[in-house]
Amino acid sequence: MKNPSILAKEFMNRGFSLNCPIIDVHGHLGPFRGVYMPSADINLMIRTLKRCNVRCIVCVPHAAMVDPQRGNELMQKTIDKYKGIFLGYWMINPNHREIIEKDLQNFEKTRGFVGFKFLADYHTYPITGENYIPALEYANEKKLMILVHTWGDSQFDSPKMLGSIAEKYTNVNFVMGHSGFGDWETSVKLAKELPNVYLELTAVWASHDFTTQAKGSGTPVPLSSFLHINGIIEFMVERAGSKKILFGTDLPWYSPHYAAGAILFSHITDEERHDIFHRNAERLLNKFL
Amino acid sequence: MKFCDCNCYFGYVGLPAFRYAKNSDELVNELDFCGIGKALVYHSSMRFDSPVVGNKLILEEVRNKPNLIPSWSILPFQTQELATSADEFLEEMKKNHIKVLRAFPDEHRYFLDELTFGHLFELMEDKSIPLFIKSNWETADKLLKSFKKLNVVVTSHGPHGQDRYFRPLLEKYENLYIDTSSYILDRGLESLVENFGYKRILFGSGYPENYFGSSLLRVAQAEIDEEAKKAIACGNLENLLRGAKL
Repeated sequence: MKNPSILAKEFMNRGFSLNCPIIDVHGHLGPFRGVYMPSADINLMIRTLKRCNVRCIVCVPHAAMVDPQRGNELMQKTIDKYKGIFLGYWMINPNHREIIEKDLQNFEKTRGFVGFKFLADYHTYPITGENYIPALEYANEKKLMILVHTWGDSQFDSPKMLGSIAEKYTNVNFVMGHSGFGDWETSVKLAKELPNVYLELTAVWASHDFTTQAKGSGTPVPLSSFLHINGIIEFMVERAGSKKILFGTDLPWYSPHYAAGAILFSHITDEERHDIFHRNAERLLNKFL
Repeated sequence: MKFCDCNCYFGYVGLPAFRYAKNSDELVNELDFCGIGKALVYHSSMRFDSPVVGNKLILEEVRNKPNLIPSWSILPFQTQELATSADEFLEEMKKNHIKVLRAFPDEHRYFLDELTFGHLFELMEDKSIPLFIKSNWETADKLLKSFKKLNVVVTSHGPHGQDRYFRPLLEKYENLYIDTSSYILDRGLESLVENFGYKRILFGSGYPENYFGSSLLRVAQAEIDEEAKKAIACGNLENLLRGAKL
C-alpha cells in the first residue's frame, strides 16, 4: 500500500485509531420502513461504535420522523441511559406546529440535545416555510445546532434554500446533512462563505444510483442520483477547507468503516482527516462532550 | 491480506466526475496506493460508449499489466454488432483470454433474458463463464429462473440496504453472487455471512463511482472469521475465474 497515511494503516490493521477518535454528527436509532438494518438493535449499534472508536454519535430516532413526541422521548431515554455516547437532535416536524410550540417551551428542560433536526424531504415541507420559523428563531437565540437533511435538486431543502436561512439566522450552526447531495458547487460555496454552515458527509462517500431500485429513493418525492463520488472529499477539502467538514453515517444505516475508508484513502493529509473525523465536531459540541 | 477487486473501471466518463483513472496506468497507480493486488476490470467505453469500441480498447490497455484481468460486455447477437453468433463470440473470447462477461441491460437497452441471449447463456452455463450484471433485482430473478446454473454476479446494486430484495434471491438461486461495492449497510456483511455463508460475496469497489477505500476497509474490518474474509477479499473471485473453461 503506497498510501502514506498513518491513520489509514492503523484503521486497516485494527479498525480504529486511538489518536483519532470519530465523532459522528448524523445518526438515527431503531428500525426504519424502507431498509433492513441489523444495527437497529442498539446493542449491535454500540458494538459498531466501539469497533471504529466512535466516541460519540448525535442521533434522531426514526420514530421521530413520524411521531416526534414518541421519537424525541426515546432519544432522551437513550441519552440518559448511554451517557457520553449518545447526544440528540430534537426532531422538528413542520406538519405539527402545535407540537413545535410546546416543545420549544420545554426544550431547556431536556438533557443532551444539541439542537434540532429538519428532515424536510421526508416531511414534504420547505425549510424556508413559516412553520419552521419558531424553531429557527429559538435556535438563533440559544445558539443551537441544526442538522438539516439537504439534497441537490430538492424543492424542500436544496443547498440554495439552506443558504437563505443560514444567512438570516447567523447564530445557528447549520450542519448540511448529505452536503446538498449532487449540488456540490453550491454546497461548498456556502460552507466556504458562511461561517455557520458545515458540510456533513453522510452518504456523500457512496455513489447513489436510484434507478436500480424499484421505488427509487423511497422518499415521498424522489431524490436525484449522482454516480461518480470518488474525489468528492478532495474537492470539498480544496474548496471549503477541512475545517468545514463533519463526519456522519446515518448509523444504523451505514457502516462507519465504509465511510471512513473513503476519507482514509482520499488524497488529503492526516491533519485534514483529524479535522473531519473529530476536531471540527469537538469544537462545535464542546459543551456536551 | 490479498485483495482482488471484481468491479472497477478506467477510461473517460462523460458524466460529472471528480477523479478517475483515465487509462490503465492511472488505475494501476490507484490500486497500488490502496494496496489492492489485482482487479477484474472493464473499460468505460464498454459501458458508456459501446461494447463494440470498448471490448477492443480494453485489450490494448491491459497488455503487459498482469494485475488487470480484462472482461467484455455483451450485446444481442441479433444486431450482429459484436459477432453473428454466440459461438463466434466465444471463439473471440478464447483467442483474447476473456473469462468474464458483463451486461448493462438498462444502459444498452436490451432484455437480459432467454429470448435475447438463450444460446450464449447455455454455453456460459456449460463452460462456467460468469456474467457480471448491473441492473435491478427483477432482472436477476428472471435471468436465474431460466438459467439456474449460470454464475451471475450482481454489481453496484445501488444505495440503501436492499436485503429485502436480494436475500430471497440468494436463498433461491445458489449461483447468485453479489459484490460489496454498494453494500454500505452497517453489519450487513456480518449478517449476510451468518445467514447465507461467505462464498457468494465478492470484494468490489465500484471505482471510480466509489472510493476504493470504502469497500476495502469495510471488508478488512468485517466482524467475520479470517477464512470468510480472505474468500470475500479475493478467493471467491479467483474460484470463479479458475472455474471458467473456454
